[in-house]
Amino acid sequence: METGGIEIPFLILLLLIPLIGAVVTAVMSKKPKRAKNVALLFSGITLAVTLMYGYLLSAASTVYSDSESYAWVDTEYLRISFDMGVDGMSILMILLTAALVFIVTIFSRYESDRPNTFFALILAMEVGLMGVYMAQDYFLFYIFWEVTLIPMYFLISGWGGPRRHYAAIKFFIYTHVASLIMLIGIFMMVFEASAGGTLDFTFAAVKEASIAGIFSPVMQTALFGLLFLGFAAKMPIVPFHTWLPDAHVEAPTAGSVLLAAVMLKMGSYGIIRICLDIFPDGAVSWQPALIVIALVSIVYGAYACIAQKDLKKMVAFSSISHMGMVLLGIALLTELGIQFAIFQMFAHGLITSVLFMVCGVAGHNAGTREIPLLGGLAGRMPLFAAFMMFGFLASLGLPGLVGFVAEFGIIFAFFEYLQTTPELLWIIVFALASLLLTAGYYTWAMQRTIFGKETTKIDIEKVHDVSRTEVLALTALCAMIAIFGLMPSLILEVIQTMPLPMGVF
Amino acid sequence: MLDMITDFVDFVMPVAPHFILLIAALIAPAIGMKSGKASAIFMLAAGLFALGVTGYMMYDGGYNGRVFENLYEFNQFTGFMIVLFLIVLCLVVVMSYGSSDNKKHHGEYYSLLAAATIGMMLVCASVDLISLFVGLELAGIMSIALVAFKKNDPRSSEAAVKYLIISGLSTALFLYGMSLIYGLTGTLNINEIVNALAGQEITWTYAVALVTMIAGFGFKIAVIPFHSWAPDVYEGAPTPVATFLAIGSKKMGFVVFFKIFLLLFVAVRATGEIQELQWLFAILAAVTMTVGNVVAISQTNIKRMLAYSSIAQGGYLLIVLAVASDYALVGGLFHMFTHVFMKGGAFIVVGALCARGLSENISDYRGLSRRAPLIAFAMGVFMFSLAGIPPLAGFWSKFILFSAGVDGGTWIWLIAFAVINSAISLYYYAKVVKAMYIDKGTTTEKVKVSFNFKFAIAVCAIATLAIGFFPGPIIEFCEFAVKAFIP
Repeated sequence: METGGIEIPFLILLLLIPLIGAVVTAVMSKKPKRAKNVALLFSGITLAVTLMYGYLLSAASTVYSDSESYAWVDTEYLRISFDMGVDGMSILMILLTAALVFIVTIFSRYESDRPNTFFALILAMEVGLMGVYMAQDYFLFYIFWEVTLIPMYFLISGWGGPRRHYAAIKFFIYTHVASLIMLIGIFMMVFEASAGGTLDFTFAAVKEASIAGIFSPVMQTALFGLLFLGFAAKMPIVPFHTWLPDAHVEAPTAGSVLLAAVMLKMGSYGIIRICLDIFPDGAVSWQPALIVIALVSIVYGAYACIAQKDLKKMVAFSSISHMGMVLLGIALLTELGIQFAIFQMFAHGLITSVLFMVCGVAGHNAGTREIPLLGGLAGRMPLFAAFMMFGFLASLGLPGLVGFVAEFGIIFAFFEYLQTTPELLWIIVFALASLLLTAGYYTWAMQRTIFGKETTKIDIEKVHDVSRTEVLALTALCAMIAIFGLMPSLILEVIQTMPLPMGVF
Repeated sequence: MLDMITDFVDFVMPVAPHFILLIAALIAPAIGMKSGKASAIFMLAAGLFALGVTGYMMYDGGYNGRVFENLYEFNQFTGFMIVLFLIVLCLVVVMSYGSSDNKKHHGEYYSLLAAATIGMMLVCASVDLISLFVGLELAGIMSIALVAFKKNDPRSSEAAVKYLIISGLSTALFLYGMSLIYGLTGTLNINEIVNALAGQEITWTYAVALVTMIAGFGFKIAVIPFHSWAPDVYEGAPTPVATFLAIGSKKMGFVVFFKIFLLLFVAVRATGEIQELQWLFAILAAVTMTVGNVVAISQTNIKRMLAYSSIAQGGYLLIVLAVASDYALVGGLFHMFTHVFMKGGAFIVVGALCARGLSENISDYRGLSRRAPLIAFAMGVFMFSLAGIPPLAGFWSKFILFSAGVDGGTWIWLIAFAVINSAISLYYYAKVVKAMYIDKGTTTEKVKVSFNFKFAIAVCAIATLAIGFFPGPIIEFCEFAVKAFIP
């Protein structure tokens, strides 16, 4: 975008800075602590540039919209361009990515096992995530989508728990197969849209074709299904969720945070950006199915949480439940539903990061994450207990925190949607039941871990509280949760500037 | 006198690259008597010179035409394939430089390599089944001698005998099909055959002729169920020769398929009468890629794994014949081009490590990222490129190849197969990367790789990365070739 008469290619910069950072961190000297500081520097610059970009965008106009385009392949048969752009939803996700990568880098400062590679992978991850959220070309979108896979695979299999190889390969195969199905969908979509001419992979070209009515309703239903499959496995939605608990349990804390907070959002982002926007008729025909699987995910995720013994696995299942909430908001196909679904994506990103960091601290500082082995930790780890309580309460939707606004909004939108068919109003019970279940498993987990009698099952003398950098990271996140919970309009105003997808009425 | 020379030069110009190599092949043994390394350098220079000449001829465009009573031709397509084979030759020559496999007979070795390359180039340039057959035999016989080059190694001899028998069988089948075709159409000129066949009803003779030709070439390109020789031969042959077979002579088989069947399919595209044959190719493609990939998973020897992966890649290329569209052929040629670098690179890495005493067992690659970081990085690039991970070269070519199949809707099931296979293949490619980067090795001793290997690996890795980031020119290059090929 242009600022002060100078053209600054912000979007390219946001890809290049972390990329350079990743390369530098990977090849620089292996002296301890060096890599951490360099990674911190690069993720810090990225965050600063992102914030500046967001500020400049808001100052420039009332809509957060910008685009950059560079030719890449332009031959007779094929046109692929390096098109990037942002709108209200993208800029929010980009900000979230930049902020969380920075916070994760602070949090993982004590990583001592091959720190160079570790931080390089995190920065490489950032490149992929940024790319997904700003791509305006299907080819580019797919590339970045796949690029995020590789660093995450290595983070899990290189720095994970005892069953890390199994979890990493499961994660990879699940999401890779899903994205290949999505790729077939993209091929079919682009072929259909180009109608015998040059294959044009840009978002704009396909959107134009869609407006011109090139996709028949049957085609729309089929293509919506193919693309949705790819996105749903990433989100993940029951029944494509089984990779998630494994991946989370085995992943290192930094990996878990990035996976849950920003990577899962790629799925819901894709549904809103592509499925709803290009295939409005497909969305309508899939709507009942979407609502049903969303409700199943919400309830099943919450229900499964109760049974979990591993704190981190519980949080992983709660992610499934909360991402089900996002899908519910999307599936309503109403303005309110979409906006709060995006808000929930943002809120869940912040909250789940706190939860996974807390789990990481429990595993590291108390030596175990097994709920039955823990108990009465509040006495030994007061700060830890405070953060854990804050995170859990935020996640169960305590009014005043960001999670409440999101869930309240989605359920309100659901209620509003059900007004058209009052005889089905009872369905809302499922959404409400999940709130009860969520409150139940969180409070019960807290009771068994931080409150109650001090445990004798672990070596209690070795337990120590959170370290300074961890406090810093957690405080920053908690502050954001509180601020955006008290002033949700800060975020909602950005979301509202997004042009609504075609499928929303 | 001068006029005669220029006339002669103009006359043979369409086959100039072949002539250059032929002369080099005759001189190389003489240089090899003095010094093996000198003959390698000589052959590399000749290969690069021929490459330059071909490039110039393609750029200029004024040398297109046919020579020797319509036996051979030069056009953008032939040029493209010649460039590809010359790149293969140069890579293999660099890789063989100073190799101990052929200590006493360097000269002959390079001469045989060049002769085999000439054979492959003749196949590409042929317009007539007889000249095509001559090229085929030239390439085949030279390859057998090359496979047997490690004279004291029983594995090498065994592989050569296997290859000999398979080659004999395959050419016999091809000849049989060819004679039937001649009986049916009364001509051996490929264009005339295609035109004559396109107008005919499918009869038994017709079907038998085509199926025997498919079977004959099925052996050459190791299509399932004619594949079982490939892993044994790749494993037994000297690594440079295995490289040559995997990235060179397989592609020759595909060129023959394109020349006969693709042109036939294109000729009858309007009537759609040969659908059955296209289905045959589609089924062969699906079976080949699936079996290749699934069997590759259980391999512990990296050369055998690469052999099965080659079979699978052959399956992907068969998609071109099933889909039979211009765009599919663009994808096919592009995939052949990238395959040279990624598969070639992988084989060169294997050769380089074998030369340093590592075994061909994948378990020997554990901890390689610490023992030889750059080599391990390059191998990672090749593996991920073969698996089709963006933004590497292999991703682009698979992308175009697979996307071509979606057009029209008939072959979506095949593309779904290909895509799932692509995911399966990732498993065994990633296994190598995992061994190199994640597993801990038994030793951390540095592996020092000699310069010629480093150079060849660097060329392949840079090409794989560069095509990945800037695929445009190569795609356009393929499009020109396709335009010249499909009228």
